[in-house]
Amino acid sequence: MGGLKKKKLWGSVSLVLALSLALAGCSGDNEKATTKDGKEVLNITAFIGTPNQAPAKDNRIYKKIQDELGVNLEMEFLVGDLQQKLGVMIAGGDFPDLITADTKLVSAGAVIPLEDLIEEHAPNLKKHFGKDWNRMKDSSDGHIYWLPNYGVYTGEFISNYYSGPAFWIQKSILKDAGYPTPKTLDDFTTLVRDYAAKNPTIDGQPTIGFTTLASDWRTFPLLNPPEHLTGHPNDGGVVVDDSGVATVFADKDISKRYYKELNNLYNEGLLDKEAFVQNYDQYLAKISSGRVLSMFDQHWNFQAGEDPLVAQGKIGQTYVGFPLVYDTSITDHYLDRPVINLNNGFGISKDAEDPVALIKFLDKLMDEKYQKLLSWGEEGVDYQVNEEGRFYRTPEQRTEQDDPAWRLVNKAEGFYAAAPKLEGTFEDGNAIGAINQPEEFYDNLKPEDKELLDAYGFKTWSDFFSPAPENPVYYPAWQVDLKEGSDAAVANKQMTDTSLKFLPKAIMSKPNEFDNIWTEYVDAYKKIDVKSYEDRINEQLKWRIENWSVK
Amino acid sequence: MANTPGAIPEQTTRTVVPKAPLLKRLRGQRQLMFMSLPIVAYILVFSYYPIWGWVMAFQNYSPAKSFTQQEWVGLKHFKFLLTDDAFLNVLRNTIAMSVINMVLGFATAIIFAILLNEIKHKFYKRTIQTISYLPHFLSWIIVTGIVASSLSVDGGIVNVVLMKLHIIQEPIMWLSVPEYFWGIVGASHVWKEVGWNAIIYLAAITSIDPSLYEAAEIDGANRYKKMLYVTLPGIKSIVIILLIMNMGWILEAGFEVQYLLGNGVVVDWSQTIDIFVLKYGLQIGNYSLATAAGIFKTVVSITLIFAANSISKRLGEDRLI
Repeated sequence: MGGLKKKKLWGSVSLVLALSLALAGCSGDNEKATTKDGKEVLNITAFIGTPNQAPAKDNRIYKKIQDELGVNLEMEFLVGDLQQKLGVMIAGGDFPDLITADTKLVSAGAVIPLEDLIEEHAPNLKKHFGKDWNRMKDSSDGHIYWLPNYGVYTGEFISNYYSGPAFWIQKSILKDAGYPTPKTLDDFTTLVRDYAAKNPTIDGQPTIGFTTLASDWRTFPLLNPPEHLTGHPNDGGVVVDDSGVATVFADKDISKRYYKELNNLYNEGLLDKEAFVQNYDQYLAKISSGRVLSMFDQHWNFQAGEDPLVAQGKIGQTYVGFPLVYDTSITDHYLDRPVINLNNGFGISKDAEDPVALIKFLDKLMDEKYQKLLSWGEEGVDYQVNEEGRFYRTPEQRTEQDDPAWRLVNKAEGFYAAAPKLEGTFEDGNAIGAINQPEEFYDNLKPEDKELLDAYGFKTWSDFFSPAPENPVYYPAWQVDLKEGSDAAVANKQMTDTSLKFLPKAIMSKPNEFDNIWTEYVDAYKKIDVKSYEDRINEQLKWRIENWSVK
Repeated sequence: MANTPGAIPEQTTRTVVPKAPLLKRLRGQRQLMFMSLPIVAYILVFSYYPIWGWVMAFQNYSPAKSFTQQEWVGLKHFKFLLTDDAFLNVLRNTIAMSVINMVLGFATAIIFAILLNEIKHKFYKRTIQTISYLPHFLSWIIVTGIVASSLSVDGGIVNVVLMKLHIIQEPIMWLSVPEYFWGIVGASHVWKEVGWNAIIYLAAITSIDPSLYEAAEIDGANRYKKMLYVTLPGIKSIVIILLIMNMGWILEAGFEVQYLLGNGVVVDWSQTIDIFVLKYGLQIGNYSLATAAGIFKTVVSITLIFAANSISKRLGEDRLI
């Protein structure tokens, strides 16, 4: 027990201490960035619930926001499963300043009410959301927690580009068949069958007639078609009748008819064999290979798979959406009037140090000047203005916009998609998005697209759909909050699980086994507490009719 | 070594050292005590403090409320688990896949180590060993990607090879046949871990006294006899220790493989406890149910590890606890 040993021990302890201090010193970056006029930059952390690619470090638009508004956005994009990520975040009790909307966060008390903040500090936001103010209130406590990112229109509503649900078919098929207009599911599958028979391979790989997706939360490509085929709008897992009563349709005959058709396609070898085992990335990869002839999906969901095709100039292998129905007596209701995208967008978390600064920042961005920056870009760099004050892009500028890599450096897409935004037209009459500027839309069309639209005598992609009727007050039912951990939420999960288990089995069975598996499926469905799910939805629809009706 | 029935168990004799008073012993070992403090603190903070969270399993936990406001529900969540068909399936899958992984993992690693030990040419031995343990360093997301594309019907290597050999007529959708799922998971585990797991046995083999081999050779043992009667018994104690240690992980059949390879069609065979917890707990904000399932898992694991330990004691082998 000599002094020597003691010295050694203390020596090593202090060495460890010194090392850990040195390491800690490395991680702390105390340098504060400043704006042009020397003010300190406010760091805002934001979690964005979609799997975007992170913008380039020297992104032009984010840089401009930092210089002019003194805000540096530190964004985290989703990797993996959103519900899992949020669950972990709640369990850990640690939130970024701005957080992607999810009803789970309200139940967890993770976000703060916004109505007073908006009233006091955010005139632009207040004006923007004014007519939807009541809709934005949470049905359980009357507070506003989210700033919805889509669906609030100012000025004129223009829609050239359709990004909703439809049955999508490759443009080259239409051209090949002399531009027919498939109305029913049968018309559609006939087109696919004929083309697949003529073209067993595309670009050297086997042709896939029809594919679908049922991975993670993206189950709507598989589960939603029956409601659309029967002329109902997109209400998610239920169809709502004229008196406003919602019923689940997944196990009903209207669904059976559709899945039987998929079963036929499967047995003819036209349905993608791996449709039910693929994940979202594999699905996108398959679409971007150009060999998928058709699918049911919402355009925004497979857009990322189509982008590479556009960039490679393979326009014939991109898609046109058709509003199919079971038979011609049914009117299609795919196109709907824009509704405010409730339970989406941003909220401010309880951990945010300075909610006032946050709301002021978001409010400043609602200024037309910044909305132009976010959607069109910089004048003279990303777009031009002609003598009449109309915005347009040069062909080179359009080519740049098609390049995903360029956009990471020169556009603030990740944040812009999640933030509240103006839609419709600016005060000067220009459309808010380049895609919605009619002349820009038309000039931006590839020659193949012009040829196709001309052949049908249409001006825009939305013209393929019946005009949208007035929305019912409660619409859409898929936005109903089921309440975390409730019986309705558990039932919903079980229903999805059951569908994902039996539907692929039924679709991939021999034609004569289909009916038996369908019966098994219906029986399994009966064991679930579907009623608690329907009850919750109906109760909420009723609440909406009472509280949202214009008085 | 082993106890034959009827034989008198050997008594382990231990020299009894009179124990010094606790305080004095503590003082005598104060350097040791001091050094162990950080570890003890670490374990307290990260392993024992979280146990407090278990109370959630007996509540309808809501993160928005404080502890006193929570609603207590007793054993409701445990009852739900033990009566739910899906959970019983999940339990079966977890145990089955763990056992498959463990048995396959042990058997292949031991066999691989013994065979590798027989290779006398240093260069070949090194090369084989390096190649075999490289997959260990890949993350599961990459491995499942490789597995999925080799099993694909669309030119996946497994189907291509089987077709060329005329074993099958047309490509098989491996990942959509529920009965194949356990096998695929087991095989992926072996591919990924066999080389890595073999390292410890290789190390154990090198510590076997060479004179035993010489003696066996004089007695006329051939190569296989030597493997069976010298090498295997030589690494027996390592095998048993590892077995006990792994017992604690028996319900950790994994999450990533099953989550990444699984799909709706095979859900009855692929869902493990962790995935169930994720789906019915975290994803729909039902934290109490998730906690109950977690507790269930812990209790089973502890029971198994004690069972394994006492079996090992009866076998007269080294014990962990």
